[in-house]
Amino acid sequence: MDSEIYLDNNSFIHRLDPRVKIIIFLLTFVAILLFENPLWMLPIMVLILIQLFVSGAVKNLRRIRYILIVLTVSSLILWNLFSTGETQLFWRISLESMLFAIARTMLMVLMISTGMILISSTRNEELINGMIKLGMPYRVGFAISTALRLVPTIASSTVTISQAQRSRGLDLESGSIFERIKKFLPLLVPVFISTIRSTNIFGMALESKGFGAREDRTFYLEFTMGTADYIVLTLSILFVLASIYFAISGYGRIDGLIRF
Amino acid sequence: MTEPIVSLNDVIYRYRGQKTRALDGINLALKRGEFMMLMGPSEAGKSTLAATINGLIPHFHMGGMKGEVIVMGRKTKDFSVAKMAEIVGMVFQDFEAQLFSTNVELEVAFGPENFAVDRKEIKARIDENLSYVGLEAARNRPPSTLSGGQKQKLAIASVLALKPKILVMDEPTTDLDPISKMGVFEITHRLCRRDDLTLLIVEHETEEALFADRIALMKDGKLIKVGPTREILSDVELLESLGVMPLGIPKFFKSVGVEDLPLTPDEGLQKFKDLNLKISDHEYDQITTVEQAALAEMTEPLIQCRNLSHTYPGGVNALKDVTLDIHKGEMVAIIGQNGSGKTTLAKHFNGLLEPTEGEVLVNDKPTREQGIFKLGQSVGYVFQNPDHQIFSEKVFDEVAFSPKLRNFSEKEINERVTEALEAVGLAGQEEEDPFTLTKSGRQRVAVASVLASNPDVLILDEPTTGLDYSEQRSMMDMVRRLNQAGSTIIFITHHMWVVAEYAKRGFVMKDGDIILEGRTREIFSQGDILREAFLRPPHFVEFSHRLGYTFLTPEEMLSCLEGAHD
Repeated sequence: MDSEIYLDNNSFIHRLDPRVKIIIFLLTFVAILLFENPLWMLPIMVLILIQLFVSGAVKNLRRIRYILIVLTVSSLILWNLFSTGETQLFWRISLESMLFAIARTMLMVLMISTGMILISSTRNEELINGMIKLGMPYRVGFAISTALRLVPTIASSTVTISQAQRSRGLDLESGSIFERIKKFLPLLVPVFISTIRSTNIFGMALESKGFGAREDRTFYLEFTMGTADYIVLTLSILFVLASIYFAISGYGRIDGLIRF
Repeated sequence: MTEPIVSLNDVIYRYRGQKTRALDGINLALKRGEFMMLMGPSEAGKSTLAATINGLIPHFHMGGMKGEVIVMGRKTKDFSVAKMAEIVGMVFQDFEAQLFSTNVELEVAFGPENFAVDRKEIKARIDENLSYVGLEAARNRPPSTLSGGQKQKLAIASVLALKPKILVMDEPTTDLDPISKMGVFEITHRLCRRDDLTLLIVEHETEEALFADRIALMKDGKLIKVGPTREILSDVELLESLGVMPLGIPKFFKSVGVEDLPLTPDEGLQKFKDLNLKISDHEYDQITTVEQAALAEMTEPLIQCRNLSHTYPGGVNALKDVTLDIHKGEMVAIIGQNGSGKTTLAKHFNGLLEPTEGEVLVNDKPTREQGIFKLGQSVGYVFQNPDHQIFSEKVFDEVAFSPKLRNFSEKEINERVTEALEAVGLAGQEEEDPFTLTKSGRQRVAVASVLASNPDVLILDEPTTGLDYSEQRSMMDMVRRLNQAGSTIIFITHHMWVVAEYAKRGFVMKDGDIILEGRTREIFSQGDILREAFLRPPHFVEFSHRLGYTFLTPEEMLSCLEGAHD
């Protein structure tokens, strides 16, 4: 079963130096957080959309589409309830609060997207090596990569386990919400137990291959910054600097918005 | 005499929280370059012994150890597992959990990276070891896309990249299908010819033990006997008493009363000629006639597949135009490689999957109309890994799960649980915690929990995987009893001897297609087609073949021996 997050596409984004990708990831966060007006978020959104399509990460977003839809709907409602403005539209909703809710929803979806682009286009090892080269300790990096690695494992065992329990008559699709939550117990326990069991073996295999045997360590993967890397990095920095300039100059706000 | 490369001196080990000793006074020495096979029943302490050699015991596991283990002059107590990794390589049974890279090359690089090996040298080792195990073509693929056998080969390559002097493998082939097993064994055959490498392999496959220099037999944490391969394998009675599967050929000749026992089909053939033995054609025909008659009685169709095809989302065409009938009261086996479509086929029988083309009828009604909840009651499905379904704290609750969901009365639930537990041989253990049971115990709980809803058909997906020989036997004897009591049984398995001894009829699958079906004896007489599906009949069946017959067990052949009834 195909449950890997990394997509073996070899796109332009895949070929970028992981350090550049990590820096862009962080810069994107800054750029997203600067404005509260959705119009001003359009440029970064366009850039992210381009990356999504170039890298092929849309495929992964499609996998989590239900989560995204639920998040979008609930965030649109909640931010409207937690803010208000002068131009009343209907019920408790004003033009300002609507704009703000849209911006906050965009913020969330864009953050998820940019994270997805990073992990869809960067191998686990590249990501970790990149982080380490940027100053993170090896063991911390390894822990993060292990956590990422567990996701597909858990996903595929969950599929098998739910089939096994459905064969025994477990019906996950009916009943009240509390009954349904109770029904997840027969899924959760085996998922936990099998995950714990496999992480135990994972630990043994890790040590048996000399993990932490010495202070120093070679990294087989080596990256060199190419022309494309420098260009992309420079452009990204310029973009964020420009965004910061506009934000400080007072652009990108929503006039008349009152937040609670 | 040269110094032993590994020596265990009076090793005693007890896991924390356990009453009994997992290792109880082990003294064992491995010679440089030898290949030793470690065999014994489940819970004998084989894996524990293997884990002492690279220091996982005492460092990784919790427990108390006495005695000492010395590997190439290093006392394991004084070295961390990671440090020992330079000289002792370890391959585990679970091929999923021991791989952690996103790419085959990087997996092999991981070990040498930890020892700060130069990058050029790492590259050379990657090339060397991937070609050694035959995975060069896959070098840029993520390990998750490899088959089980390839994963295990990769695990071996990644360990060999550390250039160990000793390689320990803990049941490396238990979870693999026959062709993958062969692939892994083929590598071990080459490894054991290398005199710079000492091999210790824990294994259940007796036929593979023929390649070892010595065999060590264990039980209850003690070494029962250590000796040259021929001597140990000739001791049929000892093997059987320890729950290790004896080879069919020496078993047969032992019953004939021969002293110097042949082991392989070649030797068996020679011996058969030397002794001037003869098979009575009359007796043989009798056996097949009885068999055919028994099958001819079962005519009421229970499961019918009509031009069944299944394509998974994503385009994998797992079943291609399968048409078959399974009758009431049958006991049939489905065999084939992983990925040949066995499990996909079986999942259509209880409605877990619906045909993308064609139709599956159960009791003359399409599964599409019945749905999994309703079908699940008449068609029980026991999944391969019991740990994928057990969740209760008590055996009783686990087994009562299904009847409760189906709204039976309390009295009825109690009755069904008692009956089901009796059937699987766990009567009286209602209050036990299923997680503390052995693998075979958990497997039985899983079977009972499916039996409790009183299905007409029982599907078992690899019921014998991970069990030792005597557990496999008692599991299959139990299944046979259920069959005799009226249940229709369908089982999927990789163990050819289980098919030979227990199935009445079989289906051989390859690439989503049934390429052979018929009585078990007919199937095993088609050696060529079986090989095409990458399956191999047991040695004994092959031996009988070469005599011109198809005998499934030594007992059968014995009963047909000319003069046997005088």
